[in-house]
Amino acid sequence: MKESNFYSDDFEQLIREKTEQYKMYPSERVWKGVHNSLHTKRRWFIGSMSLLVTGILFFAGRELITPSSRSIVLRKPATTAGSVTEAQKPWLAAHIPHHPTLASLHSPAVSSPARHNTAADNAADDEQDPGYKGISITLSHPVMDPSDLSGWVSRVQLPDHAPDLPVIAARNIAVDAAKTPEDGVKLTNRTGAETTSGRETAEETDADGISARSVLASLSGRGAEATRNAKMTGRLARNGGDGKGIAADGPESSSEAAKASAAAIAEAQDQQRINWLHEYAMNTLPPPNKRGRTFFQLTLAPTVNYRSLNGLDPAYEKYGPLPGFSVSPGQLMNHSTAFGFEFGGSILYRLTRNLSVKGGLQFNFARYKITAFADSTGGGGSQGQNLNSYLGYVVDSLQRNVSNGQRASATSGGSPVTRETLNNDYYQLSAPIGFELRVLGNERLQFNLGATIQPSYLLGTTSYTLTQGMTKYSKEPDMYRKWNVSGGVEAFLSYRTGNIRWQIGPEFRYQLLSTYTSKYPATENLKTYGLKIGLTKMLP
Amino acid sequence: MTEEAILQGCLKNEAPAQRELYNRYSPKMLAVCYRFAHNREDAEDMLQEGFIKVFSQMHTFQNKGAFEGWIRRIIVHTCINNLKKNKRFNESLDIVHAHGVQVREETVPSIVQAKQIVECIRILPIGYRTVLNLYAIEGYSHKEIADMLDIEESTSRSQYTRAKQMLEEILIRKKILMKPREKSDWLVAIR
Repeated sequence: MKESNFYSDDFEQLIREKTEQYKMYPSERVWKGVHNSLHTKRRWFIGSMSLLVTGILFFAGRELITPSSRSIVLRKPATTAGSVTEAQKPWLAAHIPHHPTLASLHSPAVSSPARHNTAADNAADDEQDPGYKGISITLSHPVMDPSDLSGWVSRVQLPDHAPDLPVIAARNIAVDAAKTPEDGVKLTNRTGAETTSGRETAEETDADGISARSVLASLSGRGAEATRNAKMTGRLARNGGDGKGIAADGPESSSEAAKASAAAIAEAQDQQRINWLHEYAMNTLPPPNKRGRTFFQLTLAPTVNYRSLNGLDPAYEKYGPLPGFSVSPGQLMNHSTAFGFEFGGSILYRLTRNLSVKGGLQFNFARYKITAFADSTGGGGSQGQNLNSYLGYVVDSLQRNVSNGQRASATSGGSPVTRETLNNDYYQLSAPIGFELRVLGNERLQFNLGATIQPSYLLGTTSYTLTQGMTKYSKEPDMYRKWNVSGGVEAFLSYRTGNIRWQIGPEFRYQLLSTYTSKYPATENLKTYGLKIGLTKMLP
Repeated sequence: MTEEAILQGCLKNEAPAQRELYNRYSPKMLAVCYRFAHNREDAEDMLQEGFIKVFSQMHTFQNKGAFEGWIRRIIVHTCINNLKKNKRFNESLDIVHAHGVQVREETVPSIVQAKQIVECIRILPIGYRTVLNLYAIEGYSHKEIADMLDIEESTSRSQYTRAKQMLEEILIRKKILMKPREKSDWLVAIR
C-alpha cells in the first residue's frame, strides 16, 4: 500500500481520475434497443411478413379446420313462381308429401331452373331479380337415396284439377326478368294451331327453344302419344287461372274431351312428378367431384438442429496438440444439438398426376447449445464477464498453470470459472419453392418425395460468435448474414381422408450459405432434421 | 476503423459504423449513467436513450471539440432529464442540509480502486450525488448545474459542500482516504 499526501483542493481531481478509470459493459439488450430504434425498415419487413403469415393461417383455419356449414336453399325464379297463386298453396300443402329431407317449405314453389347453394349467391340474385324474393325450400340433407326418392315421388298426389303449376322445360334457361309472374311458363304445343283456339295460345316457352312438349316426350317416353297428350295439356294449362276445367274447343265430342281430359290429367301428374324429381336432383345431389389442380398445404415440424463449422481462424492452429490432452482443439468445441420447430403454409399446383410444384412461407426456429466458461476478470459478455469456449478455457488453464509451474488441468483450473450452457437461437422466415413427386401408391395412400430451395431472412438471433482463435464467445450481431439460402429434402407418407390429405415424414434442411458474413473467417452452416406433419386441401 | 470513418458511416445510418461507435464509447458512458442512476438497469435505459440521441443528432456535431466530450454531454443531459422525471429526485434537491444521513458499514462495497469510489458515490443521497457528479466529475459550473436542475445556484453550492463532506466521511470510514495529521494535508489517498 502506497501513501501519498493529498490536499482537499485535489479532492475533485481524485474523484475525477478514479471515476474515469471505471468502465462498465452494457448488455446486448441496450444495443438492440438502439439498433431497432434507428433501423425501422426491418421492423416493417417483420410486420409485413407476420401479417402475411397470419393471413395464411386465418385462411387455412377457415377453409381446413372449420369449413362453413351451408344449408341448401332452393329458389324459384319469378317467371315460374308467379304462376303459383295464393289459392294453390293449400293444395300444395295437402299434396306434397312431407319427406324427412324436406326441412321447411317456405313457399309452394316446386320448380326452379337454377341452382342456388350459397347465401351469397342468393343475395346477389335477389338484387338482380326481385321475383326471387321469399321463395325458398331449405333441405337439411343434401343427398337422398335414389330408391327413396322414387318412392317419394310416386306418392305425390295431384288434384283432379291440377293447378297451373309450371313445367320446366329446360334448366339452363336464362331468366327473363321482363316477364311478370302472370307470364308464367305454360305447357306448349308446337301444333297448337291445329288443336287450340286463338285464345289458347301455343307458346314457345324458353330461351333455349326446348319446349315442354319435347321434355314430356323425352322424359315420359311415350313417343307418339305425346303429341296427342300435349294437345290436352295445352288446355290444362289454360285452366289453371280460372279453375273451370277443360273447355272443349273445336269439333271434338264431349266423350273425346273427357278421355282427353283424363289423359291430360295423367300426363300432368307424371309431369309434376318428373319436375319434382328433376328439381330435387338439381338442387340436392352433390355435384361430381372436380379434380382441381390447386391445393393449400399447412405444415408443422419439430426439429433437431446443429451446425457444421469450417474454415477456422489460422490462430486456432497455433494451439496445435495441447499438452496433457489427447484430443485435438477441434474436439474441444462444446456444441450440442437442441430442439426447434418450423411451420408454414404453401400453395401446391399439380402439373401432372404425380408431380406438383409448390411455393409458400415458412417460419423457422433453429437452436443449438454451446457450453461456455465464464470468469469475472472483466471484458465482454452479457454480464461483464469473459465467456471462454472450452478451448479457450483449456488454453487459459494451461497458460496459468505453466506460469505457476503447476500441472495442467482442464477440469480444475482453480480460477473462479462458472460453466454455462447457452443457446444459439436463430429466427428465420423463408419462402420454400419446390416440388413433390408421388413415387408409390394410389389416390388414398401415397409415398412422396419432395425438395425445396428456400430463400430465407434472418429475423433475429441470440447466438454467440467465437472470437480470438476460437477461444472466446461474444455477441456480434453485425457478423450475421441477413439473407441466406437453404435447401430441403423430404420424404413422406400421405393419406387422404375426405377432402384433406394428411402427411408425415422426415425432412432435412441445410443452410447453403454461411451464417456469417464474409468478414468472419469461419463458416457456419445450420443443419435441421425434422419430422414434418402436414395437411393438404384442394382449393375451390 | 478511424473516428472519421465511423462518423461518416454513422451519418449514413450504417449499422456497422454505429456498432463500432457504440462499442468504443458505451463502456465509459454506462459508467457515467451508473453514477447517476438508481441501479444498473436504469443506467442501461439511460444509455440506450442517450445513444439513440447521439446517432439521431450526429449531423449537429461540428468537429469543434472532442467527439467523446460531445457524446458525454448528451448522455449526461439524458441522465438528468431522466432523473427530473422522478419525484423523489426533485424533493431531494430541496434538502439543503442532510446532517442526519448515516452511512452503514455494510452498504459500502469492498471492491478495489475505481469501482470502490464509484460505489461510494452511489451511496450518497440522489440530490447530493447528482450535484457532485456534475460539478466534481463532469466539470459543470454551479450556474450551469442550477440551470440544468432548475434550482438556485446557492442550492447547488450547498448541496455540493454537503455531498463532498459525506463522501469524504465514507471514504475515510472505508479507509480509502485517511484523515490528515495537519489541517493542510488532512486527506491521504491510498493508492
